[in-house]
Amino acid sequence: MQTYTGPWTKAEAAHLLRRTTFGATNQQILDAVSNGMNATVASILQIPITDEPLAFDAGELIVPQGSSWVNAVYPANQAQNQQTENARFKSLGGWVAKNLNQEQLCIAEKMVFFWQNHFGVTATAESRAMYHFLNLLRQNALGNFKQLMKDVTIDPAMLLFLNGATNNVFSPNENYARELLELFSIGKGNQIAAGDYSTYTETDVAAGAKILTGYTVTGIRSATATQATASFNPILHDNSSKTLSYHFNGQVIPAAGANEYANFIDVIFNQNQVATYICSKIYRYFVNYDITPAVQSDVIAALAQTFIANNYEVLPVMQQLLTSDHFYDMSVRGAIIRNPLEMIMGAMNPTQTIPNFGLVGDYQTYISVYYVADTMGQSYIVPPSVAGWMSYYQAPAYSKLWINSTYIKKRFDIVSALVYSGIPIGTNVLKMNHLGFLNGLSNPSSAPQVIDDICDVFFPKAIDPADKLTLKLILTNGLPDFEWTIQYNDYLNDPTNTTYFTPVTQRMQALMNVILKMPQFQTI
Amino acid sequence: MKRRDFLKNASLASLSLPFVSNGFSMQAISKELFEFSKNAEDRVLVLIRMNGGNDGLNMVFPIDQYANLMVQRPNILIPQNQLLGLTNEVALHPEMTGMQNMFNNGKLSIIQNVGYPEANRSHFRSMDIWSTGSMDINQTSGWLGRYFDSTYPNFPEDYPNLNFPDPFAISMGSEVSTTCQGLMGNFSHAVNDPFNTSNLLLTGVVNDGTYYGSHIEYISTLINQTNEYGTQISASANAGNSLSTMYDPLNSLAVQLKYIAQMISGGLKTKVYILNVGGFDTHDSQVDQNNVSEGSHALLLKMISDAVAAFQNDLQLLGLEERVAGMTFSEFGRQIASNGSYGTDHGDAAPIMLFGSCVNTGIIGPNPTIDNQINEQAGVPMQIDFRNVYASILRDWFEAPETSIQSLFEQSITYLDVLSGCSVGIAEEEALKFKAIAFPNPTPSNTTLRFIAKGEKYQVFVMNQEGKALALAFEGELPAGQHEIPMETSKLPAGNYYFLISSNNVRELVAFQKI
Repeated sequence: MQTYTGPWTKAEAAHLLRRTTFGATNQQILDAVSNGMNATVASILQIPITDEPLAFDAGELIVPQGSSWVNAVYPANQAQNQQTENARFKSLGGWVAKNLNQEQLCIAEKMVFFWQNHFGVTATAESRAMYHFLNLLRQNALGNFKQLMKDVTIDPAMLLFLNGATNNVFSPNENYARELLELFSIGKGNQIAAGDYSTYTETDVAAGAKILTGYTVTGIRSATATQATASFNPILHDNSSKTLSYHFNGQVIPAAGANEYANFIDVIFNQNQVATYICSKIYRYFVNYDITPAVQSDVIAALAQTFIANNYEVLPVMQQLLTSDHFYDMSVRGAIIRNPLEMIMGAMNPTQTIPNFGLVGDYQTYISVYYVADTMGQSYIVPPSVAGWMSYYQAPAYSKLWINSTYIKKRFDIVSALVYSGIPIGTNVLKMNHLGFLNGLSNPSSAPQVIDDICDVFFPKAIDPADKLTLKLILTNGLPDFEWTIQYNDYLNDPTNTTYFTPVTQRMQALMNVILKMPQFQTI
Repeated sequence: MKRRDFLKNASLASLSLPFVSNGFSMQAISKELFEFSKNAEDRVLVLIRMNGGNDGLNMVFPIDQYANLMVQRPNILIPQNQLLGLTNEVALHPEMTGMQNMFNNGKLSIIQNVGYPEANRSHFRSMDIWSTGSMDINQTSGWLGRYFDSTYPNFPEDYPNLNFPDPFAISMGSEVSTTCQGLMGNFSHAVNDPFNTSNLLLTGVVNDGTYYGSHIEYISTLINQTNEYGTQISASANAGNSLSTMYDPLNSLAVQLKYIAQMISGGLKTKVYILNVGGFDTHDSQVDQNNVSEGSHALLLKMISDAVAAFQNDLQLLGLEERVAGMTFSEFGRQIASNGSYGTDHGDAAPIMLFGSCVNTGIIGPNPTIDNQINEQAGVPMQIDFRNVYASILRDWFEAPETSIQSLFEQSITYLDVLSGCSVGIAEEEALKFKAIAFPNPTPSNTTLRFIAKGEKYQVFVMNQEGKALALAFEGELPAGQHEIPMETSKLPAGNYYFLISSNNVRELVAFQKI
């Protein structure tokens, strides 16, 4: 796989930012052009710290409004306990949407969602545990995957989600061991014999379950404990030696108590297939769903080699991928259909549409946005299954599954609302920031330049010149370009005069209503 | 009060309750009552937006002002002998032969000097004013949008549905029309080509063979399938017909009007169609400097005149003439004096044209007075407020009640007779009625029903408030003239009742109270 050395224009910069963020402004794209590919990729590959989610809903009975609840106890009373959990879930959902809408221009949010999809962990009715799990994903998003795999294995949220917390020597539970092999690390291959999945066998599942015995979770929604906590109880652990299948060279995992799971993971990660499997998922998420034999042998193999050579550090793999010739190939531009949050944020972030309604209003807005994505099939903290969202694994449709006759109508409805009247949320209305967006373009008084910029921001490939003309005529209301220039300059000279800003806003509304409903916008 | 209004207002919602008494279905009655006033129900309004500011003085010429026009715009004024005379005072641009014929056949009328006070010469702002039908900068809904909102609440949430499967308005092109912006949604549906109703797609969407192309194709197809309105529209267009040979396939407006004829004749129930013609912003080269009868403005006027004439011809052949009326409008006229570039700059009022076989023929309003010297930047002063024209169309064409119409506009409406040519006029409609009264009313015992018969067979039912027919109180033929029929009501419990008088042609309700 070669490093990309072709032209570095807005098209390439925008492609990079579309795939690695939830939406860049025109200026951010222009900055990426002038910074060049290497510097841009370097600046993208970082994971900034985020603030903790804050209490905003009246249902929260422990911490005051505006405070973090992630390390706070729950009420003892059962009804109040549930009420508080509901409030915390809303806060967590709002926090997720806020992070996406207010992301720094880097890969963090895309990467965290990659891992969230990878592990498929559902909120465990313990929002504290879910928060800490998401935080674990964030902290290791570009870090060492082998370590992340180990941390996730004994994370309270995961132990609760896949029955690790009830897996003990007296009644082994295979749930986690199976998914660890099948979905999280080495991946399931074709079944080549009874109980043999090319990469592991049922023997390994049974052995893995024994290896992982002994962990429990305490403090769930506790009135005294500030955390749900995982702990190892030697009495519950299976102290026998576990023998793995021929896929792992019949290796024996000796009893090692609390650390045995880590030894097991080390053995699994000695198989190169782990790197191949994870790099395939990275490719499907960041590049294209279709892994052709050529992609397999050239791209995936090269990435896997880097992954292994760097002892499963993720950053070098991403660095290699995002600077590769293949990543910028025309054949993969626009090859992914936006997931619902990519679609919503893809409209909000480039236009700098950010709620500013105070703590409560902002959180109410964000949880509403969260639920809008939910109705389109993407509830961020409640994946449909442990395998994540079907759009990332279900052949042959893959990302086409994000759009069907119901979802497309919802996508258009949300665009209409956002672009025109705004989305009413309580007493606030979330409206697209048309004028802010327009003013941030490279030359807002030039109708053709406005259209060029907008196409660069929202469409993965150049569109037909006839379409561009149609879009320009929508902006200018069918008039010659200079009329738009006059109108815009009138507004600019007297920006608070409704006589000037209203017509400009209305032209932008008409334009954005079409742009964001074009099929081209649905792809990245 | 018109019958339709009466039926809408007189708390007759209760009449639509379904039940059968003596083999007499009330729902059938109420439905019939509504259908009887179907005059306006299937009427269609076609709006042609002349975008950019149409030079009214180069379209409708005030012949009596010709000498002064020569002072004002010598470099663009068309020689008087080339103009197409409509009346002694008014003539059309020489390219508008189609519309001259329509005028001569009573199918075109012109309203002079239409505008609004304190004209705004910004295209964008002025078009907003014309689209919203309001001078309030904060008004975001369109004039038709407000009308639709008042008639079809809960749009768009509850639509399309079984009773209203078709879009209320269609905007030809890729953009919905601001005139139809309602409170929660836009009532117009953008249609490029009714035979290919992937309305949200622009022209160049093709599968380029890449993953991207396959996605675009997939989404486009899905939009198509999902678009219920699109299905209705293409079904109508395919079922519809077009009979005129006058359409020029190279005339884009004619092509769109032909589509509209096909949709209407195919049974689409859409009430408003909006078309858009750009290019009227003729700051320079409005006329050909070597031949002022030609040039960009002449081409535009020819396009509109030819297209509308073909459309009218088609409607006539299809037998739809009395169902369709149209209007042109533009955001403003242009200045009286021409500029040095053989063009004209943004001005004020301008004439608008109404077409259809139901127009009140002739020319409404006097010619503008043209000064004998040039006043810099002067436009044609407004004489008729465009909002009065809108309101009159709603009254005459859609037979909306005047009180409802007034609530759509901010200023007090003065009505003009613009499209009453096919309406059953108020007086005429009143004449059809029985002018029935019950006396005494309220009554403690019996009462008498007095009404004017036309010499037909009549039935009178006594009905309770729920719309249930309690008794057939009278049945028989009555000679023309006023009759007084005693009604046995003494046995009715105290309460509110109606007499329903019914003949072959007319049904009328008379309320009375038993005390």
